[in-house]
Amino acid sequence: MIVEYHRPSTREEALALLNRPQPRTVVLGGGLEVNRKTREQFAVVDIQNLDLDEIADRGKTLAVGAAVTLQGLLDYPDLPSALVKSIRQQESYNRRQVATAAGSLMAADGRSPIGVVFYALDPILISEQDGQDPVQEHLGDILGLRGEWLPGKLITEILIPRNVQLAYEYVARTPADQPLVCAAAAQWASGRTRVILGGHGKLPVLALDGPTADGAEAAAADAYREAGDQWGSAEYRSDAAAVLVRRCLEKMDGLSEGNGKS
Amino acid sequence: MMDLELLINDEKYQVRAAPGESLFQALRKLGFWGVKFGDEHGLTGSDTVLLDGKPVNSILLLAAQAEGRRIETIEQMGEHPQQGWKESPGLHILQQEFVKTGAIQCGYCTPAMVLAARELIEREPDPSEEQVRDALSGVLCRCTGYKKPVEAVLRAAARLRGEDVQPIEDPIKAPVEWTEGPPAEPSAPWQFKDAEGNTLTAEKVVSKLKVTTEPEAWQQVGKPKEKVDAVKLVQGKPAFAADIDKRDMLYAKVLHSPHAHARITRIDAEKARAMPGVAAVLTYQDVPRVPYSTAGQSDPIPGPLDCYSLDDKVRFVGDRVAFVAAETEEIAEQAVRAIEVEYDVLEPVLDLRGAMKPGAPVIHDQEDYVNFDESDPSRNLAAEIRIDIGDPEQGFAEADEIIEAEYVVPKVQQAHIEPHVVVTYWDEDDRLVIRTSTQVPFHVRRMIAPVLDLPLKRIRVIKPRIGGGFGGKQEMLIDDVAAHLTLATGRPVQYVFTREEEFYASRSRHPMRIRLKTGVKRDGTITANEMYALSDTGANGAHALTVTGNTGHKSMALYVGDGPYRESPNIRFYADIVYTNTPPSGAYRGYGVPQGYWPVERHMEKIAHQLGLDPLEFRLKNALRAGELHPFSMAWSEGREPSPEIIQTNGLVECVRQGKEAVSWDQKYGNPDWQVVPDKPHLRRGIGVALVMQGTAIPYLDMGGASLKLNDDGSFNLLVGATDLGTGSDTVLGQMAAEILGVPLEDIIVYSSDTDFTPFDKGAYASSTTYISGAAVVDAATKVADRLRERAQMIFNENEEYDPVQALDIELSNRCALAPDGRDVSIEQIALHSLHHADQEQIMAVGSFMSPVSPPPFGAQFAEVTVDVETGQVVVDRLVMAVDGGVIVNPVTASGQIEGGMTQALGYAVSEEMVYDQRGWAREVDFRDYHIFRSDEMPELETIFIETFRTLASLRGKSGGRNTHGRCRSCGGKRCFPRQRC
Repeated sequence: MIVEYHRPSTREEALALLNRPQPRTVVLGGGLEVNRKTREQFAVVDIQNLDLDEIADRGKTLAVGAAVTLQGLLDYPDLPSALVKSIRQQESYNRRQVATAAGSLMAADGRSPIGVVFYALDPILISEQDGQDPVQEHLGDILGLRGEWLPGKLITEILIPRNVQLAYEYVARTPADQPLVCAAAAQWASGRTRVILGGHGKLPVLALDGPTADGAEAAAADAYREAGDQWGSAEYRSDAAAVLVRRCLEKMDGLSEGNGKS
Repeated sequence: MMDLELLINDEKYQVRAAPGESLFQALRKLGFWGVKFGDEHGLTGSDTVLLDGKPVNSILLLAAQAEGRRIETIEQMGEHPQQGWKESPGLHILQQEFVKTGAIQCGYCTPAMVLAARELIEREPDPSEEQVRDALSGVLCRCTGYKKPVEAVLRAAARLRGEDVQPIEDPIKAPVEWTEGPPAEPSAPWQFKDAEGNTLTAEKVVSKLKVTTEPEAWQQVGKPKEKVDAVKLVQGKPAFAADIDKRDMLYAKVLHSPHAHARITRIDAEKARAMPGVAAVLTYQDVPRVPYSTAGQSDPIPGPLDCYSLDDKVRFVGDRVAFVAAETEEIAEQAVRAIEVEYDVLEPVLDLRGAMKPGAPVIHDQEDYVNFDESDPSRNLAAEIRIDIGDPEQGFAEADEIIEAEYVVPKVQQAHIEPHVVVTYWDEDDRLVIRTSTQVPFHVRRMIAPVLDLPLKRIRVIKPRIGGGFGGKQEMLIDDVAAHLTLATGRPVQYVFTREEEFYASRSRHPMRIRLKTGVKRDGTITANEMYALSDTGANGAHALTVTGNTGHKSMALYVGDGPYRESPNIRFYADIVYTNTPPSGAYRGYGVPQGYWPVERHMEKIAHQLGLDPLEFRLKNALRAGELHPFSMAWSEGREPSPEIIQTNGLVECVRQGKEAVSWDQKYGNPDWQVVPDKPHLRRGIGVALVMQGTAIPYLDMGGASLKLNDDGSFNLLVGATDLGTGSDTVLGQMAAEILGVPLEDIIVYSSDTDFTPFDKGAYASSTTYISGAAVVDAATKVADRLRERAQMIFNENEEYDPVQALDIELSNRCALAPDGRDVSIEQIALHSLHHADQEQIMAVGSFMSPVSPPPFGAQFAEVTVDVETGQVVVDRLVMAVDGGVIVNPVTASGQIEGGMTQALGYAVSEEMVYDQRGWAREVDFRDYHIFRSDEMPELETIFIETFRTLASLRGKSGGRNTHGRCRSCGGKRCFPRQRC
């Protein structure tokens, strides 16, 4: 239950609130998750006045303000089609108006298409903490530790690498349903390839982060070998993951040298 | 608390709100009723408002978040075009198009859709269909299938660009006239023996069929009239059960069981009762123990009485433990959490296959369980059906092949966007008023009286507009909760189900395991057909017998066999309907019939493939035809006495023919070139079909009433007990009355329903409203029309210069009574004459109707799909349904029903399913996991109506279908054929 609402106009003010010992205070981005009814009492810091809703082209990176909405991101020209596809799959038009990019990542579970695609891109999150310099950390380094990492911090920007080829494939019961299995692959000009799987569990799973895509399909099959639940068997997910990863890599075929397509 | 200033529709409002109060709550408190509750997570979108011009979910935003932003609601969009002396801009063009195109069914999501569409059009004046579908993707609609809302937006955009738009397309195709079936001449009557050995005779009259091109010179019936409730719904007016504010209103919450099967050993509500703001806490120790059924059915209810308002035993996760009423919902929630309960947890029965095994836990071990028919709670058996028609064993012996298989159908939810809502209060006459979102107001009144220990006459049930029901509101589900709390406190109480409660504490479609065995000759003649259904009624037996009975009654009746088997089919239908410790099943669109057709149609396909036969030719070879006896009509009738029924009309062959043509079946079916998707070797296209036969109402049982009253200006009040839950039934009932009275639909003021004022009607179920309630309206309207003619005769004959006029020769048309000699008198003049001028009287009449038959509609559903052969993913690309629904009273509302039905069937087929874990906890408790189709992922939908009617009938016909799941009744008339007992 939300017991206090604050709308600070400076980051310092926000950080001071976030670092209070009591009540527990969290960032309110769009509110899709935070505004849900809970028994726990907590306070919220609404960041709508902190000017964190800009998208900036910084050459090799796209700097996305933490309060940029998914629709705002979607409206950015020339966004990779895989990112567009994942955003559209994850949220309807209404919810995209308020869901923020940073909030979506912090709330992403294993079935989040956006979480899977962003995890593949492994963007840098810039965060601030009370009285400290901004810190840059890769999403991949903190995704599994969000519960411990986030308190007291204010994410300000997400730096998305632009020199990356990207693909996203999924299987779902309907085109806009949550994925039963999904895969995203990102490939840098160097050949570095990251393959992420989703559709199961509490987090997207890193199947491969290597200098090439060699063995990606087998890695995907292996990564989901135990990924069974009521929605799908592990055997099915493992097989489907390999298929989807293969398709992801085929979609990037020829876009960069040394992609290591097997 | 916070003091906020909200800018709503360009006006500033000072609001005092808690920090966690949602914008939705704040708007509703301020009287902006156009925002509707659909769920807690903004996944339905019925709570949409525009925030700085963008559509957002007001339930996901804090009121505080919206301060300083521009909030727009539907109330700003437009108003009724006629405001008396005040000039009005009328409705916004978008609203006008939603009304015209039939985009409004229940109307619960309509304000949200209109707002979302407005944002789109302002952003993109010339949107593509894809853009429209994306813009509407945040608003779930369970009624329409989105086709008409999308059309409405595209048309509105065109009009706003200054372009002309075409008139609304009449979706009825007009094919060449055709005939089918035996000749129209009566032949020897059918004779049957009933259970007592009495001979029953049914006249074997089969009329010629034809597809109507110009059935008659009807002015109102058969026309795409705008819905009579559309203008208010498109404005978001407070038309629904929750849209009411009562002084001193309390808010109810229920403590639900966390255990699937347990006995309450201790319950202590004292802490909860002591909390400030708590008005009442009720446990099983506080309310009378009255066994009842929640099933909204006629008396006597054909099922066991095995429910209690509160009990010391819980039988599913979500079962009731205690009721709380408090000053706010938040206090009520806190009080619920303060109730201390200790349970003796019992072993649950979660798999229907284990329910009847020896030694299985007994779910209903209470002594006051009231049996119905074959129910046996000691074996967890809620109902049992054993039907043998002909000699199935002989039929199997005569078969060349016997094909057996087992099929499973899952539990699915009605998922109406408006949840269950009830408000109860004492009125000034000390009568209990129950304002409830129900399909069955009269049943609720009758059923709740003993539960409350109140005489029926001291209860008044009001059914306002209903935001979708689909069977889920054919229950007396939560009305007793609020009523008990009003009795306890003396104050008004509102209880609104959360979406989570809808999933774990509401009703759903019976899941079944069905075994089929079919004997067939090599030429494709079915010699015997057998179905065994193991049906899961959950923790209570409401609808257990009747839903599952219909599973066999309809689906096993369609394929009777050919040749001699057609004359004497061999059919067996056995079913066991068992209790489990899962949320109770109940009524859901199609009422058990889809559960039957899913396996039957798959089985037919399997047989055809196995025998190398064309699947459609095989089906039609064995399908029931006009002139034949409905094979189950002598065997079973929902727990009532069965009676023989001849199929009078059957457009199935034409449905197949036209459906095939629409989908280019012959070019696609079995064509490997078409099946391949260019450049996508992992994809294959497929095409399939399923046939269906439904029923219309329950013979000799379902009754509807209507009253019609003439007003001074020549308009009429039509009061019906029937419940329009978005189907458009008020509109088609009004059209029927208007047709007979010779007035436009706008002169008929339709009101439904209020047990104090409207005549009895059994309610909206069994595909009966247009047929049963429509016939009641026709009856009442005919009586009023007769009286109008007699009045007109009086007026005409006052002038002695003319020859006397006979009443029978007077025609009612264009708001006038027309004499054969060319004179006319307006209905308004007749009204003034009868009310004020001479021999004063109130011209009004009451009509009612009960049908001895259940004329079946027929349909052919075609589907095109793309299958990913590597992953198994199936994408449905196109759905075409050809329906023989008798006479179509309103093609727009009827096609809307078919589109919505197809969409629900689509979800049933590919994405909807309710699953429980080993503790009995529901996996699906929101629309994230329980996925219903959004506007941006829909396949193409097409509806074809095959109109059939008997040429002797005027304003009569048979029903439309609802198995996949259209509902389009023709108007009723007198009995279709005489029934004699010798």
